[in-house]
Amino acid sequence: MDLAQLSQSGPRVADFLDRMFPPNLATSETELRPFPPPLQLAGKAVALTLQISILGTAIGTCTAFLLGFFAAENLTPHWVHHSVKMGFALLRSIPVIILALLFVAAVGLGAFPGVLAIAIHSIGMLGKLFAEECEDVYGGVWEAMDSAGANWLQKIRYAIWPQVAPQYFSLMLFRLDMNIRDSAVLGFVGVAGLGLWIENYRRSFDYASVATMVLITMLVVLVVEQASIQIRRRLR
Amino acid sequence: MINLECLKVRYDRNSPVLTIDSLRINRHERVAIIGPSGAGKSTLLRSIKGYVRPDEGKVEVLGVNFRSAKRHEWRRVNRKIGLIYQQFHLVPRLTVLRNVLCGRLGYANPLRSLMGIFSGEDVHIALSAIREVGLEDILHQRADTLSGGEQQRVAVARMLAQQPSIILADEPVSSLDPVRAENILELITKVHAHHDTALIMSLHQPQLAKQFAQRIIGLRNGRVIFDGTCDELDNSKMEEIYRGDNIISINNTLAGSRPAEAGSA
Repeated sequence: MDLAQLSQSGPRVADFLDRMFPPNLATSETELRPFPPPLQLAGKAVALTLQISILGTAIGTCTAFLLGFFAAENLTPHWVHHSVKMGFALLRSIPVIILALLFVAAVGLGAFPGVLAIAIHSIGMLGKLFAEECEDVYGGVWEAMDSAGANWLQKIRYAIWPQVAPQYFSLMLFRLDMNIRDSAVLGFVGVAGLGLWIENYRRSFDYASVATMVLITMLVVLVVEQASIQIRRRLR
Repeated sequence: MINLECLKVRYDRNSPVLTIDSLRINRHERVAIIGPSGAGKSTLLRSIKGYVRPDEGKVEVLGVNFRSAKRHEWRRVNRKIGLIYQQFHLVPRLTVLRNVLCGRLGYANPLRSLMGIFSGEDVHIALSAIREVGLEDILHQRADTLSGGEQQRVAVARMLAQQPSIILADEPVSSLDPVRAENILELITKVHAHHDTALIMSLHQPQLAKQFAQRIIGLRNGRVIFDGTCDELDNSKMEEIYRGDNIISINNTLAGSRPAEAGSA
């Protein structure tokens, strides 16, 4: 870290903030700019970001739901839960932005690579947490179902699922609110949504519009986070 | 119905925790297994259920030898052996009816039961089991809102829904107070009398064994050292079973025990 650079950058930071303020709140084009004003695009961009994160979370949750049972050490033999857990760790180890970069290269620009990146990343985290929920379940019920002649799937359905369902929903909502934040960042590598517009405005040095988009992103994240907290509180 | 021969069970390389030369239990018998902690009571019950694999000997239950049985044969016999646990093992977030329906899982259509659908016959059997334990008024109450005694009744009803040929009870009343304990044992023996089953229960309190069983098996260090009727279990036999344990309290419990009842309760 160069302290001299920090001391010299004061005026530049001030200039930067000055250019961001006031945020661009125009609803129609008042002057010639490369992109339309942010408030004109915000609705579509927010909807797209929400769609990407909701779809990615849904795919991630469903897959993690199925695989999670195989990763729980009280439900499957050692080699099964060990390998599935390793798989989850591998998926978690790749940052979501790098996943998005790879998928953009593989399937092209747009919303789809974002959905894939978010889904894959969510599987790694949710799978691990779902498995841990199963491991915490009181084992006596499992044996009682076994005693009644239930098969493996029936035991999962009746001994495990009723006890983990509230926590599963809670974790899913938590992941959704993380994914909304993540999907905003994915715009920087070409995934459609709020992040892409922040990046477009930044490239055209339209910092007032960047400020508006950042504020909108913050608002969306706050609203979703509050909603998720309220729903999770009711699930308990 | 149950036939154990030359049975040896080890949990590790040490000496066996259960050694039984020969033990037969017939249909309609009401058996109590007593003995100090660690005598092998639970191991014996779990061997009969097929949860513990013997290292040597034969465990034949309902005509199937567990040592040579195929998995599907064991499963078929397994659902006919009802087990009542000390800790009830109910699904906390499910209702009484749903918990009892779980007893039908061994019979229900696997795919439909996964979707939570049970046949009319299964529901009918579950409902009559709930009626038998007297819980028909709280059918739709969640299990985790019930008292200990009610939870044990649900556990008995779930076991009944299995339509068992053998009822095993692993210290069924040790987590209940004395009055509730007697009520539950009365219920279990009543249920046994109504259905065509053998009842084998491990009990911690000898006086309850004398009160509710016809035949008593005394275990010590994994060996059967007493097998006879309640009348044959006198003070000297008791001392032999519980040697080294608190004899005074055992004498007290014997003095306070009621004469053994003949026939069903």
